[in-house]
Amino acid sequence: MRTAYRVLAFAIAALVAVQAAAIGYAVFAQLSWIENGGTIDKASIESAPGTSAYIFHALDGGVVLLLALALLVISFFAKIPQGVRWAVIVLVCTIVQIALGTLSHMLSAIGAVHGAVALVLFGVAVMAAMRARKPAPVAEEPVTADVA
Amino acid sequence: MAGRSTRVRLVLSVAAALVIVVPLAWLWQASLVGKSYSVTDMGYLDYGGGPAGSHDHGPQGRSVSDIVVSDARKADVRVDLVAAQQNLNIGGRSVPGYTLNGTSPGPTITAHGGQLVEVHLRNASVTAGIALHWHGVDVPAAMDGVAGVTQDEVPIGGEFTYRFVANQIGTYWYHSHQVSNEQVIGGLFGTLVVLPKSAGRDSVDVVAAAHSYTGMKTINGVAGDLKVPAKRGDQVRVRVINTDNGPIESWADTPFKVLAIDGYAVNGPTEVTDRSVTITAGGRADLGVTMPSDGRAVRVQVSKGTAVILGAGDPASPPQPATALDLLSYGNPTALPFDPAQANRRFDYSIGRRPGFVRGIPGLWWSINGHLYPDVPMYVVREGDIVIMHIDNHSGQLHPMHLHGHHAVVLARNGIAATGSPWWIDSLNVLEGETYDIAFVASNPGIWLDHCHHLGHAAQGMVAHLMYEGVTTPYRVGGTAGNRPE
Repeated sequence: MRTAYRVLAFAIAALVAVQAAAIGYAVFAQLSWIENGGTIDKASIESAPGTSAYIFHALDGGVVLLLALALLVISFFAKIPQGVRWAVIVLVCTIVQIALGTLSHMLSAIGAVHGAVALVLFGVAVMAAMRARKPAPVAEEPVTADVA
Repeated sequence: MAGRSTRVRLVLSVAAALVIVVPLAWLWQASLVGKSYSVTDMGYLDYGGGPAGSHDHGPQGRSVSDIVVSDARKADVRVDLVAAQQNLNIGGRSVPGYTLNGTSPGPTITAHGGQLVEVHLRNASVTAGIALHWHGVDVPAAMDGVAGVTQDEVPIGGEFTYRFVANQIGTYWYHSHQVSNEQVIGGLFGTLVVLPKSAGRDSVDVVAAAHSYTGMKTINGVAGDLKVPAKRGDQVRVRVINTDNGPIESWADTPFKVLAIDGYAVNGPTEVTDRSVTITAGGRADLGVTMPSDGRAVRVQVSKGTAVILGAGDPASPPQPATALDLLSYGNPTALPFDPAQANRRFDYSIGRRPGFVRGIPGLWWSINGHLYPDVPMYVVREGDIVIMHIDNHSGQLHPMHLHGHHAVVLARNGIAATGSPWWIDSLNVLEGETYDIAFVASNPGIWLDHCHHLGHAAQGMVAHLMYEGVTTPYRVGGTAGNRPE
């Protein structure tokens, strides 16, 4: 369980990095298309270069949410100090991040927050993974304490 | 004590885990559609306040495949179409795509009002199979060309013959409705022009089908501007057909008239000078230009980046007007052929977006009346009904809504009644936050898609159906025939 928690938390961090990579690719693919004389409007964006990366970004965001839910479920059994707390933080961050991404279509400025919160989500996912690496301290084992 | 607290902790953990997992698992399994299904079993029946009647799947029910033009009638216009999957040469680049008779778009089919058009389709090499939908033509149900609803897809080596009477004068197009998102983007479409029986012809008639191939904007499959000879005083009709997934804006450097929308003539069109015309995905607009008496060339901007140049010369691109022409108040009102006040069915088509599962895949999906595909409404009508549909869009994005087999008239937008020419549509641009009230007569029995013509959105489940009482379909989505309409 401890290993599963750790793998999931690192996977979330890795997918957040993939999300950033997809956006980086999409923005530059479309910039270079336009700089080379191409046109992009609502009618042509579907088949324009880079758009597939945006679509991937939206789907991958859903995958992160599922992994965050799985992390929380696993945290109930993993007996990691503050493991549940960190799983909740990761999940809340993911939900906030998806909400920000959705709202960015209405107000572009929210997109800037969406970009910044990605780093926070990456950070808390790594923090959660790190917690699972340490062996549980003795104080977390009430069984031992009671017997003594 | 220790054992007990461990047990309590375990029970709490299991309970908390179930609280998360069970609803997700339930939603996931509810979203599965099975390997093959009939669209008539999908979702829930919506009678729109009309009589529920007997929804008859029994022997009295009429199969969609029987609703055809009589075989006895001979064809006036015969066309053979051969579909192939091959690379296209677009602007000097080779891109994967599809052709009809070796080209994309396929040939322009021209008929005169009242003629029977017979199109013999053969699939030479399209792996996923094909079906041809006659966009905007209110064909008999069996000819609607939707794989899994009105026919089986045509596999490689297979054939299908479409027969319909071209009663509606105007500009239309045809495109694949099998794996339509992929095949239409890849160029599996063509245009259809129905001319009046006699007289009233324009001196120059131009078909301009706008399409983007891997992002490259084209007119009639060719990158760059389309040059058309025209001389001073000529009456030119430019038939702009939007075959993409999003709307385009068209405008010109000379005053023009909007002669028709979605094939239907505008009553009393006036000259447009500082407006563009929005043509939604799948929609058409006929723009009328009188060539200037000074003999200069005219530039009709089909969309950003592509134009039709009429006459000799290369006029500069006119700046795009800041606002679009409002068709709600364009032209002169005239009597409708039916009275919307007599409507006996009123449906809601409310477009939203919410998290959930579609076909087992989690995501943020389009919803219809709050439901996700396949749990969407099946709008039920009876022949002769007058139907009002209230469309509202609170999904965050615009949607080009397309009803098969019927033309509807726009009654109001955002609650404001139409004051111009009757605005007939088969494809309607519904922006985020907008509502539309449209009305139509249920005069074409069948089972008809009522979907978003952003074909990517349709593939994501933005598809409902309009079903006539007692009409059934023997075709199934999925299954051995491999029907995938979207």
